[in-house]
Amino acid sequence: MTHPVLTVFLYGLVTALATGLGALPFAFLRTVSPRVVASANAIAGGLMLGASFGLVAEGTEYGAWQTLAGALLGVLFIIGTQRLLGDREVAFGDVRGSDARQMALIVIVMTIHSFAEGVAVGVSFGGGATLALVITLAIAVHNIPEGLAITAVLRPRGVSVAKCAGWSIFSSLPQPLMAVPAFLFVETFQKALPYGLGFAAGAMVFMVLEELLPEAYDRARRPVVALQVSLTLVAMVLFQQYL
Amino acid sequence: MLDLEPTLVVLLFSAISAAAAVFGAGPFLFRRQLPIVQIGWANALAAGMMLGAAYVLLIGGLPLGAGAVAAGAVLGIGFAAWSHTASGTDDLDLNRLEDTGPTYGYQVLLVNSLHSAFEGVAIGAAMALSLPFGVFVALAIAIHNIPEATVLCAILTGRRLAISSAAGLAVAANVSQVMLAIFTFAIVDAAPGVLPWALGFATGALIQLVMADLLPESYHQAGHRTIALVAIVAMGIVVLLRTAVA
Repeated sequence: MTHPVLTVFLYGLVTALATGLGALPFAFLRTVSPRVVASANAIAGGLMLGASFGLVAEGTEYGAWQTLAGALLGVLFIIGTQRLLGDREVAFGDVRGSDARQMALIVIVMTIHSFAEGVAVGVSFGGGATLALVITLAIAVHNIPEGLAITAVLRPRGVSVAKCAGWSIFSSLPQPLMAVPAFLFVETFQKALPYGLGFAAGAMVFMVLEELLPEAYDRARRPVVALQVSLTLVAMVLFQQYL
Repeated sequence: MLDLEPTLVVLLFSAISAAAAVFGAGPFLFRRQLPIVQIGWANALAAGMMLGAAYVLLIGGLPLGAGAVAAGAVLGIGFAAWSHTASGTDDLDLNRLEDTGPTYGYQVLLVNSLHSAFEGVAIGAAMALSLPFGVFVALAIAIHNIPEATVLCAILTGRRLAISSAAGLAVAANVSQVMLAIFTFAIVDAAPGVLPWALGFATGALIQLVMADLLPESYHQAGHRTIALVAIVAMGIVVLLRTAVA
């Protein structure tokens, strides 16, 4: 029997690797027209909105005010990061300018969001959950659409599928790292959990509303973008319900 | 007040919600026209509250059966999209303040009636889940109706309509809300099994309307950051109020 801390870490690592699978559907994407960028933005937006609905629902069970306070901090964090990125010449691989800024932003947002998820994993392990394997599997599968969201933004801007998978996995690495301390100090982390969940939701929703959607509307017809966002959102919520 | 006959509660609160549109004409008592930026804020405010209402309906419906809610949501999305296409109102801009052609006039009123019809389904389904929940959703949509009516009044007064007539038309465009609220409530009362479907339908339709009409519109009227901030704060307030009430 391995040490429980090691178990939590390894399970967390497996969930991080699963995020890389989200890049796979984009291996078949050949042409990158403005319509593809619009669709990819819309799908990433729907996935992130759906994920945020789940985070807020979970966070408000621990505390509504704390979740909303966390969300406010998440919004401020994005504005701060944008200011930081806006002041300097950002390069993401070979890409520069506003595209690179957006690519860096999605990786940052999704990575931050994994911190909160890692805490949620650790707390649920420490909460006396005996179904550790089931929980891990659920979170691993749940991470795949998050890799999809990252790849949807990176891939149409010229990043290779392998690198998309790499960035997806990178974005989930905080999960095992945060799961361990959260598991060891459940009581402390449980108090911080609604703030963290709210922070992640606020950051994601704000990024969708400010960056992803307006760009999608500029590049494709409104009804098409709307359909893609709405259907993906519902699919994501359903997906999370069953896993 | 909730001792009333349930159908009367639905009638009362959906009527309050529809009538709230009259306050949307308020800004025009003080000035002839609003700057386009402020119309953008009004659209974003309406969008954020509608997204918040969709979230509340979704979370309320999921325990009844996630599959049925999701299937209902897909129907709602499809129906909202279809109603736009069928009425020729997709891609319709809600800020052509100088366009006084007759076609644009009826299209704008049609879009507003469509919106309130789907909001009526939301109120009716929420009332069927529980009356206090329904009252909450009705009041949220009532407040949402105010900025929505402000946008409509901006277009109508731009067409040289008197403020009183613009306010009256804004309320009249919401009559479908009262009708659909009572209709949905009656249907679910007769066949309780459709409740998760109805809640899902309303959720999907509201999300689709936000994504197809309110948000794309507002991005053209004010800066992306302002719109995102206004929408997310409006959404947060609805979510917070819901958990505070529950």
